[in-house]
Amino acid sequence: MSDTKLYTIIYVVLFVFATVQVAVEFAGVLEPETYMIGLTAIMILSLIKAVLVAGYYQHLRFEPRGLTYLMLGGLAGVIALTTAAAYSIT
Amino acid sequence: MSDNDQPRTATDGGTADAEASAEVTEELPAPGVGETEDHEEHALPSLGSVKRWFVTTNHKDVGILYIVTSLFFLVFGGTLALLMRIQLWQPRAAAGGPLDALAYNQAVSAHGLIMVFWFISPFAFGLANYLVPLQIGAKDLSFPRLNAVSYWLYLFSGLLFGISFFQGGTFAGGWTMYAPLNVPKYMPTAIGSTMAVLALALFVASVTVSSVNFLTTMYRMRAEGLKMRKLPVFSSSILLTVWMMLFAFAALLAALLILTSDHVLGTQYFLSPEGGSLLWTHLFWFFGHPEVYIVFFPALGVMAEVFQTFTGRRLVGRKWFIASMVLVALQSFIVWMHHMFLTAINLEVKTLFMATTIGISLPFDLMVFSLIYTMIKGRIRFTTPFLFSFGALVLFIIGGITGVFLGAVVLDYEMRGTYWVVAHFHYVMVGGATALFGGLYYWYPKMTGKMYDQLLGKVHFVMYFVGFNLLYFPMFVVWETPRRVFNYNPAFTPWHQAATIGGFLLGASFLVMFYNLFVSLRTGEDVGDNPWAYATSAEWAVSSPPPLENFPGIPSYRGGTLSFLDDVVPASEVETDGGQEAIEADGGEVVEPDGVYATHDHGHDSHASIWPFGISLGMFLTFLGIAGLRPPDSTDLVAPGAADPVLVGVGGVGLVVLGVSLFAMAREPFYTSEAPIAERWPYAHVEKVKLGVWMFLGSDVILFGAFIGSYVFMRFNAGWVEGWHVFIENPIPGLMNTYLLLTSSFSVVLAMVAARKRNTPGVIASLLTTFMLGVGFLINKYIEWSHLFHEGHTPSAGIEESTFFLTTGLHALHVISGLVILLYLAWRAWGGAYLGEDEPIEYFGLYWHFVDIVWLFLFPLFYIL
Repeated sequence: MSDTKLYTIIYVVLFVFATVQVAVEFAGVLEPETYMIGLTAIMILSLIKAVLVAGYYQHLRFEPRGLTYLMLGGLAGVIALTTAAAYSIT
Repeated sequence: MSDNDQPRTATDGGTADAEASAEVTEELPAPGVGETEDHEEHALPSLGSVKRWFVTTNHKDVGILYIVTSLFFLVFGGTLALLMRIQLWQPRAAAGGPLDALAYNQAVSAHGLIMVFWFISPFAFGLANYLVPLQIGAKDLSFPRLNAVSYWLYLFSGLLFGISFFQGGTFAGGWTMYAPLNVPKYMPTAIGSTMAVLALALFVASVTVSSVNFLTTMYRMRAEGLKMRKLPVFSSSILLTVWMMLFAFAALLAALLILTSDHVLGTQYFLSPEGGSLLWTHLFWFFGHPEVYIVFFPALGVMAEVFQTFTGRRLVGRKWFIASMVLVALQSFIVWMHHMFLTAINLEVKTLFMATTIGISLPFDLMVFSLIYTMIKGRIRFTTPFLFSFGALVLFIIGGITGVFLGAVVLDYEMRGTYWVVAHFHYVMVGGATALFGGLYYWYPKMTGKMYDQLLGKVHFVMYFVGFNLLYFPMFVVWETPRRVFNYNPAFTPWHQAATIGGFLLGASFLVMFYNLFVSLRTGEDVGDNPWAYATSAEWAVSSPPPLENFPGIPSYRGGTLSFLDDVVPASEVETDGGQEAIEADGGEVVEPDGVYATHDHGHDSHASIWPFGISLGMFLTFLGIAGLRPPDSTDLVAPGAADPVLVGVGGVGLVVLGVSLFAMAREPFYTSEAPIAERWPYAHVEKVKLGVWMFLGSDVILFGAFIGSYVFMRFNAGWVEGWHVFIENPIPGLMNTYLLLTSSFSVVLAMVAARKRNTPGVIASLLTTFMLGVGFLINKYIEWSHLFHEGHTPSAGIEESTFFLTTGLHALHVISGLVILLYLAWRAWGGAYLGEDEPIEYFGLYWHFVDIVWLFLFPLFYIL
């Protein structure tokens, strides 16, 4: 598969996923009883989109793993900060 | 004193014995020889010229600039400390001493900020700038002009902080800047305190640029054979320090940008009754605890180097020493809440962080024992550098042990906010500075080619060590003295008077140092390459001071010892340890060299540019202007006041200076070569600019992560669903912007593909499409924001609005920056650039896609959930 074709497919996937995220809201999944399901689904979709952009548009998949670890290191830092700070609330 | 007739043994990086290698093809130049030629070849004025110091990008010059400037800030911060000590001579109302109440608060705050940010770290980085390229076998840092930018931003940030004293007074809320006392409502010195916050933000910009530069350098420019584990310990300590800096300072930048926004835009983060104060402490200490090691690690590196040299022993347990430093660097990011035991965080998390805090003391124990055992196994020579390093170890042991008390929750309840804390962290931080002074004495002969008076050096040490302990130890005794308060229990008076006397003795000791080092510049005995026996890292293998480009050839440790390659060697003829026709990098990864070895490129690198100065001046003026801004819709929560038109005008000029300088620097021909052969694990296949961009993005992950984390924290604290007023009910504008950004990412990719195909119209069309999509994003945002403002949803309307406008606003600023770069790229493409060479577009794309990724999270968080 040519590069351009791959990039185009990813673009379409990203486009669709963004639309699905709003569709989740419009479908009423963010009502109180199903809020956590909706939140999880929406954030997972964002995560997949981010991985696609980083992996292919930024070519991270084809770079030395050291660069991936660099970004994961930063991500681990903010997750530690956010999680621990949120957990610390009395 | 010179003892270079002593035998040499290997400590770090193999022996610095050039004669041992048959590869050496040039004599090392004598001190000063070659400088004249260098000046002519590199258009770099001579050392005696004032102009040189404004245009130089050479790492040794920049190192000296750092050291001299940091020593100025030592005197600045030290003078403030002495004023405090005079005030504390006896317990009295503020009016009874030299400082009034507000002046005392400003002196306390400014002293802490100046010493922590503008003295200790830059002092260490002066040494690092000078020595790391030498120790790793590089000509310079990867990005010499950015290195100069770092320095000038540092200097200008200090200048901005100094000016804040004259804008109604500087920041007066303590160096930790705790909320809500850090916002204008509680700040009697509104513009001055805003300026101090901005000065710190400018300093962080300097640190970030520096971190990216050092990381790229140390991963791309190590001499062949100099694997990570073989780095001299000082360079190892700097490597770990810059890793911590890259991540920790980004969190501080987030905190400072939010604080600046609270000051000038009227956002409500730190005034928010729902967790505003707690948010500051989380952000600040997430940075603040790694900062302790950012300050201390270079000192540890100096201690290790000096101990090795003056005991004649390789560091005992060297690899465990380095492993301990790695462990501490990682652990430093999971201990921050021990600074928050008296806040409203829950007991479970306090207990957890007590455990991690006790845990982090263990690797330090190992390092301390390693240093002690090195002394026991070696034969000590009590030179000035050794005395300072040994003194630092003693002080650090006391500082470390007293810190463990504070790590225990119940003891901390009693000791928090007292002089126990003051004494503890001065033993640690100033203890670290003690080693750095040892480092200055150790490398002064290398930097100047002159030896100082050793007797005066020892006099300095005795005065320093006695003064230090007389100043800080009484603080342990009268630990119940409340911190940051000028009044205290009269029964403590003799101890405080002893401390004041100690403070003046400590201050006076520096007069001896300044005199000694200054006079020795002219009258000191000439030293050869290496005045210290047993000093074996690479800087001692070249002249003192080293020539402009450091080495007479390409440094290599291929044979186990340092040698200099100078021949044209085809890649296919290069043999490694295993005789392979490739270069073996660290970790066993086999890396083909980038190309056929070129003849070592003597004398063609550039070393002079005025634009780093111009960029930093522009930033400085711009930040001056921002300090003059006031919230457009001041509410009762913000101290009233109008924008200062003069400052704002200056800021406008600054933007112009910044823009012109950036453009001029981008267009300036500036050549820096990379050695064709070097250790580059684990980034062997990542070109240096690309690696720099990735390092920057790593820092940006923390910056945006901290903004998003702040939003999550505030919302979680308020009650995610019930307690949070979601004022954006229509996700469609956000979805439209998501489409625009995704499409713009796609068009950048197409530009790259077009460049590879040498299709000029394709490149230009794709770049302009990206530009138009970015502009569309901003127009859509403008319409959305106008609508929201019209409905009363302004940044100061509440924490919900504050988080939305500031986080998405920061993202929009990134988009705007990207658009400026895009215009430049399109203009260059129009001139025929990038055909068959897509790297610049790819590197821009890395940034642009990152901005896209951030939006992929902002969109659901702010528009859907």
